[in-house]
Amino acid sequence: MKLLIVDDEERFLHSTQKLLNRKGYDVETAPSGEKCLEILGEKAIDVVILDVKMPGIGGMETLRRIKREQPMTEVIMLTGHGTAEYAVDALLRGAADFLVKPVSIPELIEKVEAAMARRMVLEEKIRAAKALKAAEAGLSTQSSDPAGPEETITNTANSGKKQ
Amino acid sequence: MKPESADNIMRRTILSSMILIPIIPFILVIFIGYFYSKIAIENRTVESMQRIVEDHRQMIDTFLRERRTNLEFIINTHAFEDLNTSRSIEFVYHNLRTISNAFVDLGVFDEDGLHVAYHGPYQLEGKVYKKEPWFKEVMETGVHISDVFLGFRDYPHFIIAVKKTENSRTWVLRATIDTHIFNTMVGRIRIGDTGEAYIINRDGVFQTQPRTGGNLLETDPSRLKYLKHHDGIATYTSLRDYGWFGGLSTPVHDDYLVATVWLKEKPWLLVARQEKRDAFSGLRAVMYMIISIAAIGSATIVLVAFNQTGRLLQRIKDVSGEKAHLENQLIHATRLAELGQMAAGFAHEINNPLQIIRSEQALMDFILTEMKEKKEITNDQSIEELEDSMHQMIVQIERCSGITQAILKFGRHTEPQIEDIELKDFIPEIAGTISNKASVHGISVKQLIDEETPMVRGDKGQLQQVLINLFNNAIDTIVDRHGSHGGKLSISAKAAGDKWVDIAVQDNGTGISPESMEKIFSPFFTTKPPGKGTGLGLSVCFGIVEGLGGKMDVSSQVGRGTTFTVRLPAATA
Ligand SMILES: Nc1ncnc2c1ncn2[C@@H]1O[C@H](COP(=O)(O)OP(=O)(O)OP(=O)(O)O)[C@@H](O)[C@H]1O
Ligand SMILES: [Mg+2]
Repeated sequence: MKLLIVDDEERFLHSTQKLLNRKGYDVETAPSGEKCLEILGEKAIDVVILDVKMPGIGGMETLRRIKREQPMTEVIMLTGHGTAEYAVDALLRGAADFLVKPVSIPELIEKVEAAMARRMVLEEKIRAAKALKAAEAGLSTQSSDPAGPEETITNTANSGKKQ
Repeated sequence: MKPESADNIMRRTILSSMILIPIIPFILVIFIGYFYSKIAIENRTVESMQRIVEDHRQMIDTFLRERRTNLEFIINTHAFEDLNTSRSIEFVYHNLRTISNAFVDLGVFDEDGLHVAYHGPYQLEGKVYKKEPWFKEVMETGVHISDVFLGFRDYPHFIIAVKKTENSRTWVLRATIDTHIFNTMVGRIRIGDTGEAYIINRDGVFQTQPRTGGNLLETDPSRLKYLKHHDGIATYTSLRDYGWFGGLSTPVHDDYLVATVWLKEKPWLLVARQEKRDAFSGLRAVMYMIISIAAIGSATIVLVAFNQTGRLLQRIKDVSGEKAHLENQLIHATRLAELGQMAAGFAHEINNPLQIIRSEQALMDFILTEMKEKKEITNDQSIEELEDSMHQMIVQIERCSGITQAILKFGRHTEPQIEDIELKDFIPEIAGTISNKASVHGISVKQLIDEETPMVRGDKGQLQQVLINLFNNAIDTIVDRHGSHGGKLSISAKAAGDKWVDIAVQDNGTGISPESMEKIFSPFFTTKPPGKGTGLGLSVCFGIVEGLGGKMDVSSQVGRGTTFTVRLPAATA
């Protein structure tokens, strides 16, 4: 499981990364939205923790792009602003959750785990769906056989008529 | 010199216009009134003077005519021979005296002026009067009334003489009139206190003794002006002669109202006069009246002006006070908004370092735990202390975080979602959320919502925030004072006029001291111990209520309790 923390506070990235590493998480960091998208393009990331207020493209815009390019990636928004509007907006745009700074690390981990679980469930479902689709695909190949003769019959009939 | 205050200038301006504007027409009216009554009184006085003088003239004329006709009667009913003896003339004289005792003597003259017969106090028989002007005149015109003169007797008298021609004989009958009686008769005229009458002849010589200013048979040159010939009655008066104020000023010499008329029987001028002060005394009464009316009227105007100016100024003061108050409130509200924004930015910035501290703390905690588990550190005492210290960091971070959250809430600028709120449903709902907390502290919560309370216009979320804040404050202060027994909290709502609804939250807590009262709505003002209150509750309420177009009020008594009133606009039906 891979985690990406995006925040313009270097020290926050540093110490949080260290802590989470120690707790056994694989953590990447990015100091800006741009860098975040770059990393996402290179590595497979499961959960992104995204600060809202950053220089460059802000958190909300970054969220929008992540969701466009990799809708499967879970994003937890992190902000100093605890207003309902932001929360609602972020959730509507596809964020998995919304945390208000200063968030306690146990809570953060909890949310990450929840997001991860959700992602896992989602992946499971997708896999199942894909399997189903694959199964259906397989079934349809098999069932094309009866159609063949029918076609043939028709064709035959037609040709018979023509003939 | 001290510059005059605007208040004083305004007072003076208002006062002077309030006095001058009514007083000018008032004085004008009074003057016109005075002027007309003056003319009326003057006319009436002069008219009555003229009437009296005319009556007097008629009386004097009648007297003279009667005396003349007395003599004419005697001369017509007697022959010269009947009267040319002193015996016979004495008899006739006595008869004459019974008709009028003004006759002093009686005498008969022949055509040569010889005094033939005489009866009277003097010895005149035998004197010849041919050269005397009176004799000449009576011979010419048949009748003669003389001016007053001294004559042979050296005593002022005047005579009436008539002539008769019969059987080529001409003779003259003459009588002397008692000037004393005539004097008395002429002088006896009743006009006011100072009225008098006298007669002057064509040369201005006194024919009767005037009561004032002159002697019989003397001439007073100042009276010659009356002598021009005129028909009827002439009066001499002029406004200037007796002054604007009807002779209130000291009388000058010859300060008289004068009426003159020529007699018919004799070219004598009857002069009647009265001191103007006396004549126009009515005018003085009017004057006094007008002065008192003017005085009372002016005093009233001035009094009313002072009174009204006082009231007006007070009113202006009140209004400007109100305005200043409103301005203050407005400034307060704007300041609050600015402060809110600033505080929000500030809180936001604080949150980042707080977050870092939190991460660092978590890291330290984790490392510490690891080291402990790996037995890398073994001093239990130190570990305990470190752990306690770690815990304190969390607590303090939580505290900071609480503050920044409150500030952010305070500084939040969201457009209120205005709707009509039914307080009968809304207030019990909100009260329900605190009922638990209240009952824990033994507080009885009363809801007094008037049946007639109209709906209010507001934002439900915001109004909830306001009420919860007020309830929490009330509960805090109640617990402060009563612990967990005897607390009372009441929430009431009722219409205030047509346009407003008052929601009041009343507690029986400690009350607010006057010093605190000024500051309770200011952000960060709190009397609660550190870490307990942010001091933002009421300023948030204030901002919200202001934003909803309402007003917040508070009344409090230390040791009694406090009532916060929120006034909101009523929903228009
Ligand atoms: N009902 C009340 N009775 C007595 N004092 C009050 C009452 N309401 C407010 N005050 C006083 O006004 C101060 C400011 O109140 P405000 O609600 O703004 O802040 P606070 O209650 O101290 O803090 P917070 O609301 O964040 O808990 C309080 O500290 C208290 O002294
Ligand atoms: Mg409070």
